[in-house]
This record gives sequence, C-alpha cells and structure tokens, in this order.
Amino acid sequence: MSRVHVTCTINGDPAEFLCDGGQTLLDALRDEVGLTGAKEGCGTGDCGACSVVMDGRLLCSCLVLAPEAEGTTISTVEGMASGDDLHPLQQCFLEGAALQCGVCTPGFLVAARALLDRNPDPDETEIRYGLAGNLCRCTGYDKIVRAVQAAATEITAINES
Amino acid sequence: MTVTEPKPSYKYVGTRPVRHDGLEKVTGRARFAADLNMSGQIHGIVVRSPHAHARIVSIDTSEAEAMPGVKAVITGDDFPAVEPGHRQYDMCINVIARDKVFYEGHALAAVAASTRDQAQAAAAAVKVTYEVLPAVLTIEAAMAPDAPVLHAHMMTAGADPPAEQPSNISNVTRFSSGELDSGFAQADLVIEREFTTQPVHQGYIEPHACVADTGQDGHTTIWCSSQGHFSVRSSTATLLGWENTRIRVIPAEIGGGFGGKTTIYLEPLAVALSAKAGRPVKMVMTRDEVFRATGPAPGTKLRIKLGAKSDGSLVAGDAYLIYTNGAYTGSGGLLGAMTVFESYKIPNFEIEALDVVINTARSAAYRAPAAPLTAFAMETMLDEIATDLGIDPIDLRIQNAVTEGDPSTMGFPFARIGFVECLEAVRDHPNYKAPLGPNQGRGVAAGYWFNIGESSSATVNLNEDGTATVVTGSPDIGGSRASMALMAAEELGIDVHDIRPVVGDTEAVGFTDTTEGSRATFATGMAVVEACRRMVVELRGRAAKMMGVDIDDVDWVDGQAVYTGSDDEKAPLSVAEITAKAKRTGGPLTATGSLEAHGAGPGFAVHVCDLEVDPETGVVRVVRYTASQDAGTAIHPSYVEGQIHGGVAQGIGWALNEEYIYDSDGVMENPSFLDYRVPVASDLPMIDAIIVEVPNPAHPYGVRGVGETGIVPPIPAVANAIHSATGCRIRDLPMSPVRVLGAITSNGGSNGA
Amino acid sequence: MAVRVHLSSNLRGPTGGVAEVEADGSTVGALIDDLDRRYPGLGDALRAGVSVVIDGLLIAHPEYEPLADGGRIYFVPQTAGGSSHA
Repeated sequence: MSRVHVTCTINGDPAEFLCDGGQTLLDALRDEVGLTGAKEGCGTGDCGACSVVMDGRLLCSCLVLAPEAEGTTISTVEGMASGDDLHPLQQCFLEGAALQCGVCTPGFLVAARALLDRNPDPDETEIRYGLAGNLCRCTGYDKIVRAVQAAATEITAINES
Repeated sequence: MTVTEPKPSYKYVGTRPVRHDGLEKVTGRARFAADLNMSGQIHGIVVRSPHAHARIVSIDTSEAEAMPGVKAVITGDDFPAVEPGHRQYDMCINVIARDKVFYEGHALAAVAASTRDQAQAAAAAVKVTYEVLPAVLTIEAAMAPDAPVLHAHMMTAGADPPAEQPSNISNVTRFSSGELDSGFAQADLVIEREFTTQPVHQGYIEPHACVADTGQDGHTTIWCSSQGHFSVRSSTATLLGWENTRIRVIPAEIGGGFGGKTTIYLEPLAVALSAKAGRPVKMVMTRDEVFRATGPAPGTKLRIKLGAKSDGSLVAGDAYLIYTNGAYTGSGGLLGAMTVFESYKIPNFEIEALDVVINTARSAAYRAPAAPLTAFAMETMLDEIATDLGIDPIDLRIQNAVTEGDPSTMGFPFARIGFVECLEAVRDHPNYKAPLGPNQGRGVAAGYWFNIGESSSATVNLNEDGTATVVTGSPDIGGSRASMALMAAEELGIDVHDIRPVVGDTEAVGFTDTTEGSRATFATGMAVVEACRRMVVELRGRAAKMMGVDIDDVDWVDGQAVYTGSDDEKAPLSVAEITAKAKRTGGPLTATGSLEAHGAGPGFAVHVCDLEVDPETGVVRVVRYTASQDAGTAIHPSYVEGQIHGGVAQGIGWALNEEYIYDSDGVMENPSFLDYRVPVASDLPMIDAIIVEVPNPAHPYGVRGVGETGIVPPIPAVANAIHSATGCRIRDLPMSPVRVLGAITSNGGSNGA
Repeated sequence: MAVRVHLSSNLRGPTGGVAEVEADGSTVGALIDDLDRRYPGLGDALRAGVSVVIDGLLIAHPEYEPLADGGRIYFVPQTAGGSSHA
C-alpha cells in the first residue's frame, strides 16, 4: 500500500510526513513526526488526551485522519512554550499543582489555551464546560480549574501591560 | 485550610515547591510507556475470548503465523504449566488462559508483527474452538445450589466446618466480639438494611503499555507503566519460569493507577513474543481492552443490622458481606470485614464476609479496596439512626468514634488516630452551616483506611557541586517524588530544588514494594530519611577531617557542618565545600536506607456533600463539597489536597454514574468512556479539602498515607445528601437519574427511609 | 519469656474460641512454636500469613521480631493494603 505524503505546519515549523491512508493524526504525530506529547487515552474522542489545534480548531487528533492534515496548521503541547519561557498556562499548572500523573496534562493545556483564546476571561462554569471534553482521573479538576483561572488573569495582565 | 496540633517547625516539609518532574509533564516531554520506541521494535496484540465462560478445545495459529509481517504467535502452551495451589495461580492463568477462559476479554494468545495493523489482522486469524459453558454472572447465580462451578478445585477457605464440595465461594472471613443477642437486647433502635453495588473501573487515563526487549543471552528489559516494577519483575519471572535476574524492569512515567496497576497483564506476553521474534515488542492496550480485561473493583451485596440506644450509642452490629472479585479468588470480603465496623466503638458484633467468583474480569485493587462499599452501607445507616434519634450526624459519629486505645475489629488497640479531629474540623467549617436552596440536601459520611508499610529502599548520592540525587524504588503516581525531595531537603539542609528525586529501575536501587496501600511517602519516605541521616554522619566525618577535629565535635545544622568543640572557632563547611573535597576525604558521598516499615498510621476522613436533585429528571448535581482528612503531617500540602480531590471525584462518579453493564451472556456493554461515564469538569464543584494533621508516631515526620482514604466517604455522603434533599434512601449503586427518579416517584416502598 | 497473646476472632478455632492466651517465646516465631504446642493446629494458622501488633506497631512479617517478657501481642490477618486483590 503506498503511503500518503502530507505537508503541513506543526508548531510554527514546516513539516512533512508519510502516513497510511487510514492512520489517525494522533498516530502520525506520535509515530511519524515523533511528537508524543498528545496521548491516546481512548481512541474514540472521549477523553481529550490527544487534543491538538488544527487551523484554529480544537479537536481530538484520534478522530482525524492523518491525510486530512495536508496544508493545515497544527499546534500541539510541544509548541506551547516559546524557548525557555513557559506559556502562562504551563506555569500556572506547575505552580498550582494542577497535575498528578500528568498523562492528561498535554490535552488539558492545549484545550485550555483554545478556551482562553476564545474567551480570555472565563468564569468557573465556563472553564468547567470548556474543559468538559478532557478527562482527568487524578485531580478532581479543582486545581486544574484554579490554574486556568490564574493563567487567564496572568495573560490579561500581560496583554494590558 | 490546615488544622494542626503543635509540631516542630520545618523549613521544607509542609511547603509547596513546584514538583521536580513537573516541567517535563507540562511540555509533553515526559515519557510514558506508550511513548517509548526501540530500534527494530515490532507490535504485539492480544487475542481475547468473546465468551464469558468456555473451555478452549483448540487454538490453531497456523494461518496467523503465515500472514504478512507476523514474527511470533504465542498461546498458553508457551508458558510453564501451573496447577491450583501455585502461589500465583490466579495471576498466571489470568495473564494467559490455559484450558478455560473465565470472562469475556480473557487473553488466550498473542501475536507480534511488524506493524500494529498486521498484528491485529493476524490476531483475528487465530482460530479458537470453544466449548461454551454457562456463564455465572451474578452473586445469586454463583451461590445457587446447582450453580456451574468455575474452578473445580475451589474449596471455600475459612469455612467452618471445612468445605467438602467445590463451590464458587472462595473465602469466608469471620470476626466477632461480645455477645450479639445481648447487644441487640440493649438497643432502643434496631435497623437492618441491604445494599447492592456493581463493579467499577479505576479509570486511569493511560491504558496499560509496555515494551520488552529480550536478547540472545536470555535476558530481557521491560519498560512499562506500573505501580511496582519489582513486582512486575517477580510476577513476569514466575509466569515465564525464569529467575528474577534475567529481567530488568525500567519504570516509565505512569499515567494513573489507583491500584489497578499493581498487577500485570501484558509484560510476560511481550517478553515471550520478544524472545520468540528476537525483536523488541511493544504492546499497548486499547481502552476497550482496559475495560474488558483489567481491574474492576468488586461488586457487592451487603446486609447490615445495627442497634443503638436512644442516646445514640451503638451497642450491636451484625454484618453479612458478599464481594465478587470476578473470576478468581480475592480479598474483598476480608477487607470489607476489616473496615465495616472499624471506625466505631461497637461492643457486640459479628461479621461474616464471603468472596464469590463469577464470569467477569479479575478484580484488582482500587483505592482503599472494599472500604467505600462497607462505608456506603454503614454510613448511610448511621445517618438513618441520627435522623431517627434526632441527633446531629457529626455528633453521633463523635460519640461513637474510635480513639487511641480503643480496640479495632481485630482486637488490637488503636495508636494515635485523628478521626475525632476530622469530625470536628468539618463541624467547625462554615460550609457545614451554609444555607441550602430548594431541592438541595446535605450529607455527612466518614471513611477509614488502614494503610500499609512494607519494604522500601533509597539511595542518596551527593554530587560534586553539593547537590543531591535521591533514588527510590517507588513509582510516582501522584507527586511522591516531590515528597521524597522535601524530606531529604529537611534532613540534609539542602534546598529542595538542589535535590533530584529519581525512580530507579530494578537494577539501580534496592528492592522496593509496589506503590500501594498509601505507602510511598510513608515507607519510602522513611527509607529516604534513614539514608539522609547516614549521609549526615558521613558529612560530619568528612568535615571533621577537613577541620582537623573529632567527629563528635561537629554538628550538622541547617545544611552546614558546625564545629562545637572548645578549640579556636572554625568556619562552618557547606555541603558543596565538603563534596568539592570528597576525593581527598574518602571518596564519593553516598548512603542508602532500606527498611521494612512498621506502623503505617490509619487514615480517617470526613466528608460533607451538598447537592441538588432535579425532581423532574432525577439528575443529581453536587454543588458544594467539603472533605477533611488526617494526613499525619502533610509533606507537600498541595499533593495531599490533590489526593483528597481525586478520591472525592472518583467517589462521586462511583456514587452517581459508574458501573459495569453486562448483557445476558456476560459481554460488557459499556467498554468506552462514552458509555462508562466518569466525572468531567462540569459535573463537579470546587472541593474544599481540609488537611488535619495528627502526626503518626511511627514516622519521623508523622506521615500517614493519604492516597486512599479520600475515596471512602463520598458514596454514603452523596446518598445521605440525596436523602436530605428528597427523603429517599437509595441503597443500590449507582444512584443514576433513573434510580433517583424512581425513588422520588415511588417514595416509600423499599426506598423509603 | 511469658507473653499475653490476643488472637483475632478468625484465628480462635484451635483455642476453642478463647481470645487471650499465654505463651512463651523470645521472638514471634518461637512464640508461634509454643502456641502450636499448646493449641495444636494454631501454628499452621499463624504461619499461613498473619501480621502482629506490638506496642501499637503493625508488623507485617514478624517471625524474628523480639518479644519482651510480660509483653502483649495481637495476631491479625495479613493484608497488603492497596495491593490486596480485592
């Protein structure tokens, strides 16, 4: 079976990979591109551990076929920090102990950034519904919600200064 | 919020530094088992039974072996035979079936091929001929007089008189104290209630995964997601009939376990496939496999009778507990018996607990195994007694709570415990008096878990620049590395971020038991402290050499060697100054601590759940939640709170949503996160965690394990709150909308208070 | 070395239901040997896997644990916390 050649932009850099026609974007990112930050928790779009943003849209990369990435712009958890500077969400997750085992964390960070891009000042309910597509079994979400609130405040302060 | 009694002032213990492994986890760099790839790696897939109970007549692998890319196919015949009575018989025949399959999803063969797709195709081509047997799917069916017997050798252990016929009852446990009849005769109020609960899954987000690489020398290296890599080594060796020394296990980051990763499923299969193929083999379960073939916590039928005097004091308790541990022997009954009456002074009691086998997946430990279910029964009945007698539910519990010196169910007196302190902390919290709205209710419940010690090892290495590496054998499932670093920082006087906590593989650190029973920060922490104290003696000796004085005249104060003798004053020496001259004073500075930890302090928790019930739909929404727990001493309070939060969330899911659903043939009908619904962020409120600190006298910093107790009270707290909101007592789990609505619409009947 | 021995209720078959007995031994292992002499069958039950509590400390593998004259020891079923196959 001949493989499909895909050209796209991943975390700001031009990227190319070969994939099978039936391969998911998640598997292509992990196995062909070597970006293992996105995780497979379910493979059915229920847990959000594989969250990435493609052309501005938050989605579960396990539900996207890799060839669909042709010509798109994709961002993953690996692209959130700029150099040594962590994204405020990453910093607030660390300082707020918003992770335990950490396997859902990449998906939460990507989803939370998409949420704050859409709604820079979400209230608690908006955060909870905005992240309802991501499962965490360790934290009970309490510290995750607080970390997103803290990051939103910080991002607003950065943007205003 | 922390309620403390006087304790030493610590510099590091009790602070909240950023965890050492945090950066890797927020940048996507942390390497979980499924993220690992080895050169030349191929992929393994398990062939699983579609039947809940069947005899394997034959397995034909010839077609699969001939398929493209296939490098190895294995069946039970590739492993040494095991007979009943073997120490790990259940584990062995669960990892790969021999002559019978005992549940839908039971592994019976495995295939390795160049790609996962090829392996999947070949697995589908393995031809298995079954003689399908009647499936035993409920406790009632398993205990029926004419029930098909799953295991012909299963004679009920603990039966009195001894069992003469095999049955599906694997164990009976009995405890008693006092005189039951005279106890109930003293009671002014006697109630007897029955409860049923369904199996639930731990629901860790990371599926089981491993890579095994077996060399021509017959040695193998396993990288895997596990709560205990030493146990992976010994169990894998047992299954393969190998010596432990042929197996090295390197722990990957673990994406949640909650008890479910204290046993093994894939590793021996991957090793055997790798040995046969001569290539590294990677195996990763799908979520569907995780649900069907790993870890549910037991389902139960519980019947309890309690007697109380009109002043609220409990005088008698009679418990009959049945746990189903899936298709194999389990200890749910024993643990249920140990926990059901443990929190309260009940002078007269009898407990009988049974473990029953049925044709469902082998149960595994899940956070405080068995205790949430006995708490569901006991704590909802206490709520009834409090209501009937007009006593505040917290006051009723304070009146009956065990304290230091009171006898446990098994007779020994409790050491210092913090149950009453947890009750008082909740009673005095403003949330306990917060006003409730329409259709809202408030429920109180308590929980207990005994915690364990077991074996741990730690090595402390001082680096040339004065920083330290702390190597332990405890996989970190919730932030324990940060705890190890904090205790080491306190002992050595080194900044916590100058300490690198590392989880060593089976060949890099001394034997360490599995991260389970809330033991890592307690027991492995003790090993770290022991190693550090030896290191301090060594540091004092090196400093004495450098100062030219006697070691007895050198103290260790705030991370410095300080001369205390009567000669001329000498400048203190820092760790970095000492390590810089290590070559001249005796060589590298390293110290180990290894111990069998005794005295794991029991943990108590008290929760208050406020919720709202939609009377039209039966949907329950938790609106406020308050949880106190005795941590002994909180080493890293944020991660203590995190353990409490996580237990609460899992307990609420267990109470309201989660259950295994089987069809009439024993096929699981909800093996996905869509249909087996765990709580999401929008299902839960903020959770107010109150850390109570009643130090454990057996630990140098007073630590009690905190990982498990938090899941014990939520189910009854939710049930009691539903009663408070609706007047309905629901005694079957889950308390799903249809069940709540049914209770509301038929208030009275079996669900009435 | 005389020690007061408390047996959890599931271990009292060989003593005819008696909860507290006296026995001798300088270690838990020796104590179990003596208990078996006094109550035939009790040794097997205790060696099959029990923990003990001495001075408030639960000890999971107590065979060589020393005992003090006039001390008190509680035998309880062995469990392994979260590892137990529930």
